[in-house]
Amino acid sequence: MLLEAQNLSVGYGGAPAITDISIAIDAGEIVAVIGPNGAGKSTLVNCIAGLLRPQAGRLRFAGGDLAAVAAHRICGQGIALVPEGRRLFAGMSVQENLEIGAYRRGARQMQLEGIERVYALFPMLRLRRQQMAGTLSGGQQQMVAIGRALMARPRLLLLDEPSLGLAPSVVEEVFEVVRAIHAQGIAILLVEQNVALALAIADRAYVLEEGRIVAAGVPAALLAQSRIREAYLGL
Amino acid sequence: MPHLTLLEQALISGILAGGLYGLLALGLSLSWGLLRLVNLGHFAMALLAAYLTWYLGTAFAIAPWWAGVAIVVAFFVYGVALHWVFMRFRVTEMGSMLITFGIAVIVESTIQTIWTADFRRYETALAGASFVVGALYVPMLNLAAFVVAALLAVLTWAWLRFATIGKALRACAEDAPIATAFGINHRALSFLLSGICAAYAGIAGVFIALIATLAPSEIWTWIGVVFAVVIIGRLGNPIGALAGGILIGVCEAMTMAVADPAWAPLVSFSLLIALLLFRPRWI
Amino acid sequence: MTRQRVLEIAGLAVAAAALVAFPALDVPAFYVSFLYMVFFWIAMATSWTILSGFAGYWSFGHAAFFGAGLYTSATLATKFGVPFLLTLPLAAGVAALLGSGIGFVVFRVQRLRGELFALLTISVTFVIAAIISNTAIDGGAGVNLMNVHLPEVFGSPTGTIYLLGLAMAALSLWAAWRIFRSRLGLGLLAIHDDEDVAEVKGVPTFRYKLAAFALSAGIAGAAGGVHAIYVGYVTVGETFEITVTMYPVVMSILGGARHWLGPALGATIVTGALYGFASGPEASLGRAGIALGLIVVVLLLPGGVMPGLIRLRHALRRAPDRVAPAPGLAAVPKQCPAQGATPVVALDCRGICKTFGGVQALKDVDLAVLEGEILGLVGPNGSGKSTLINVVTGHHRLDRGTIALAGARIDALPAHGIARLGIARTYQIPRPFNRLSVLDNVALAARFGPLARGRADAYAEAAHWLGYTGIARRADALPGQLNLHERKFLELARALAARPRILLLDEVLSGLNHTEIDAALDLIRDIRAGGTTIVFVEHLMRAVVALSDRVAVLNDGAVIAIGTPHETMREAEVVKVYLGKAHAS
Repeated sequence: MLLEAQNLSVGYGGAPAITDISIAIDAGEIVAVIGPNGAGKSTLVNCIAGLLRPQAGRLRFAGGDLAAVAAHRICGQGIALVPEGRRLFAGMSVQENLEIGAYRRGARQMQLEGIERVYALFPMLRLRRQQMAGTLSGGQQQMVAIGRALMARPRLLLLDEPSLGLAPSVVEEVFEVVRAIHAQGIAILLVEQNVALALAIADRAYVLEEGRIVAAGVPAALLAQSRIREAYLGL
Repeated sequence: MPHLTLLEQALISGILAGGLYGLLALGLSLSWGLLRLVNLGHFAMALLAAYLTWYLGTAFAIAPWWAGVAIVVAFFVYGVALHWVFMRFRVTEMGSMLITFGIAVIVESTIQTIWTADFRRYETALAGASFVVGALYVPMLNLAAFVVAALLAVLTWAWLRFATIGKALRACAEDAPIATAFGINHRALSFLLSGICAAYAGIAGVFIALIATLAPSEIWTWIGVVFAVVIIGRLGNPIGALAGGILIGVCEAMTMAVADPAWAPLVSFSLLIALLLFRPRWI
Repeated sequence: MTRQRVLEIAGLAVAAAALVAFPALDVPAFYVSFLYMVFFWIAMATSWTILSGFAGYWSFGHAAFFGAGLYTSATLATKFGVPFLLTLPLAAGVAALLGSGIGFVVFRVQRLRGELFALLTISVTFVIAAIISNTAIDGGAGVNLMNVHLPEVFGSPTGTIYLLGLAMAALSLWAAWRIFRSRLGLGLLAIHDDEDVAEVKGVPTFRYKLAAFALSAGIAGAAGGVHAIYVGYVTVGETFEITVTMYPVVMSILGGARHWLGPALGATIVTGALYGFASGPEASLGRAGIALGLIVVVLLLPGGVMPGLIRLRHALRRAPDRVAPAPGLAAVPKQCPAQGATPVVALDCRGICKTFGGVQALKDVDLAVLEGEILGLVGPNGSGKSTLINVVTGHHRLDRGTIALAGARIDALPAHGIARLGIARTYQIPRPFNRLSVLDNVALAARFGPLARGRADAYAEAAHWLGYTGIARRADALPGQLNLHERKFLELARALAARPRILLLDEVLSGLNHTEIDAALDLIRDIRAGGTTIVFVEHLMRAVVALSDRVAVLNDGAVIAIGTPHETMREAEVVKVYLGKAHAS
């Protein structure tokens, strides 16, 4: 397994946000995490990315213990984050955002090559390379956010709500890109509120409710459960 | 109506004084803009550096540039230590203001206790040196301060704009957790920046010793000037700090030329109030 | 009256009498002077706390108001021959006018907060000092008050000055105590924690801040007036000295700036410490010591001494400070939803538009909420649901369109005015006032809600709703000690305590588990049965279908469907935008 969480618990202040979660992602897999708002999906992603520290449980990546790694070294292990709400460095140019993506030591030497690859993936960003990231449209910002994460040359890409606030046509474009990234052999952990979309692309999925995993399996098996169809698709 | 030469002379003095203001504002602007810490003690530390320069020069005959080197090193360490305290106790922006206010008072008292409240003047060979352009007179030391201020402002600007570490610092200022997720060691960079800001205060202090008359109570009259410069120049913008310094320097010098010099301190504070009230987007 | 209370009052009376008669006791002048200084700093620190400690607007320029009062008294008494005692109310008035003038500009033109407000007050101090110094008010030479006549009490002017100081301190303490226990005080503390939420809960924030500023400046001005005669010879340098600005800040923070008695405690401690270093070079060291004290207190004891003392007092007394209020309040007035009768429109939104920096969040929305119904509001993230709630509650101004409550336009009202008409909301991510107790949080909504409850009633009301939402046992906790589920119910209790006609619920169910959700659904039905109209935003489809009489679907800032839950959720367009394309086919 590339990433393995065992009995993971994370909380803000006193209140736990996720409790006793065990998930696994194999190299090259797309795994979706779905669940209602406030279920703890972002908490899980932020914990893997090093923004939050686990309170209990084990978190292993490529055989090493992530809990023992300093927050700013997690990226160096091969994990890159596309955070919820994109969180670009709004006052910096598109190009500078991408350069920050390649800040980690292993990626910095290949910065120029990486930028070319991102521009090849999103040709429109090349035209806007000197524009402040905060002035881009939502869809373009999402592309910069994904490009920034790819600059770190990850083995695991964490995608937190990539469709949030985007027009449907743009969402489809973003998911095309996700497929393309997956085709390059990068494993993806996808948190998505658009359940139908997430289950259409994922190899496997976990259902998170109230900070716990309540169901797991391949999309077809999850969709066969009437409770999940009712709760998430209203059918 | 004052004579035209008088106004031209005022313009030159204003620009040169503005260089010193800009130099003083530089460190404050960086720590406020990039670390979100408001350092009310910045000018107090610069004045301490000025007293040290003067004292080392008059009591031990140490040349100002050597004193400057020692001060820069010591102040860098102080900056790092100060930031360690801020991090250790998770001090907020408001808290940083209170603490550095306390530091300013302590520095003032220390200066007063050691060197008394008397006015001090550092008499060096260069003190009176100047050259004449037409009917105008340009003091050497003020020009040197201006050149150093301009050099530091441009270098700092370029460092933030083009260097990897500079870009990382700007990224941290915008979103520290995300910057950390991309491998930037936010803590280490904050220490570095805080040290640099304090060192800038030290450099400014050396020039204050060479140019101005020293008195401990000066700390409070300069605060308005420096904060006005920082806000006019936009937080975290080195070139802006220099430009803001020149603007205020010229305004003050012009006021002194056409009105009673006693009104000069009013200029920067009034400008600061006006700026806060008609707040431009960048504050 | 209990025996203990009688003893307390008697003790206070004896202490007051002793303080008044102190100068007559033939004690050395040093002690009289020392006590005067304690009184002086009590007045100054208390004055600072009313604005900065309570409302959270940190003044670094109290010397400005002190100086304005001081020079008013000095000028009137020396140049215009006004009897000195008469100059004191004028000194207070001039300072209060200055304070409210600055407040008016600062709070209305630009909402300056935090360090920018502090910087502004520093600047004002220097500008006023420069003006006084450069004009005839002072002229740079200072003003001599030695020849000003002062009525003599206890045979000397010193006794009079002492009594004036005592009166000043007593008055400021009384004012702080009254404010602390009044609506104003509660409102100011709420402004300190979260000004936007305070406004939405019915606190008239602009008026309250202005009142706090005027009172604070007025007290500082009066203290300045008295101090003019105490020092006898006033100069700009000493009046606007940095310590005049610094000491009240230090004293209040040391004592505890969120309690009416805190600054007085801090003032006594600091003045006592300062008198240890009376003169000469030690005076400068004394200042350094105080500054060091400030740093240590900010780092180690951010809340000051007072909170610790209050805990100690509670522990010593053992008995609970507050008797648990009887749930004797009448339950929510039962008022059956109009069934069968012609539906009455409670809230009517017509053609409302709202744009944020080029993004149109609401496009021409028409929405009529019927009296007594539960209206579900659904739609993808970013579809405008939260914006709709924000414009209805007056947090954001409309760009176009109208909103009417029971036929009367409300879209031009300030948020606190709308709250008082009976519209209450909850926040998706709870936004409690973090430094007020759970009970105070809820009581605030009752005090500032449409019924404007008095103090005792508001606490009874709050206790009632805490019981109703099941978090009564956490009444004395701070919101930060609550878990997410309890915070959600605190949000709900706070909205209910206002007894709203219309309740806007923003994702109250998210993050709750199955049993909690079932309990919450029952609670919401029960609230409606009490006659409240409910609009609720929710992602959880099960809840939407189970609760709503009607569902409105928002997408991209427009209402695309409205009707009964089952009809609406089956409409092709709704399925497409809300549930994803895969299911539309």
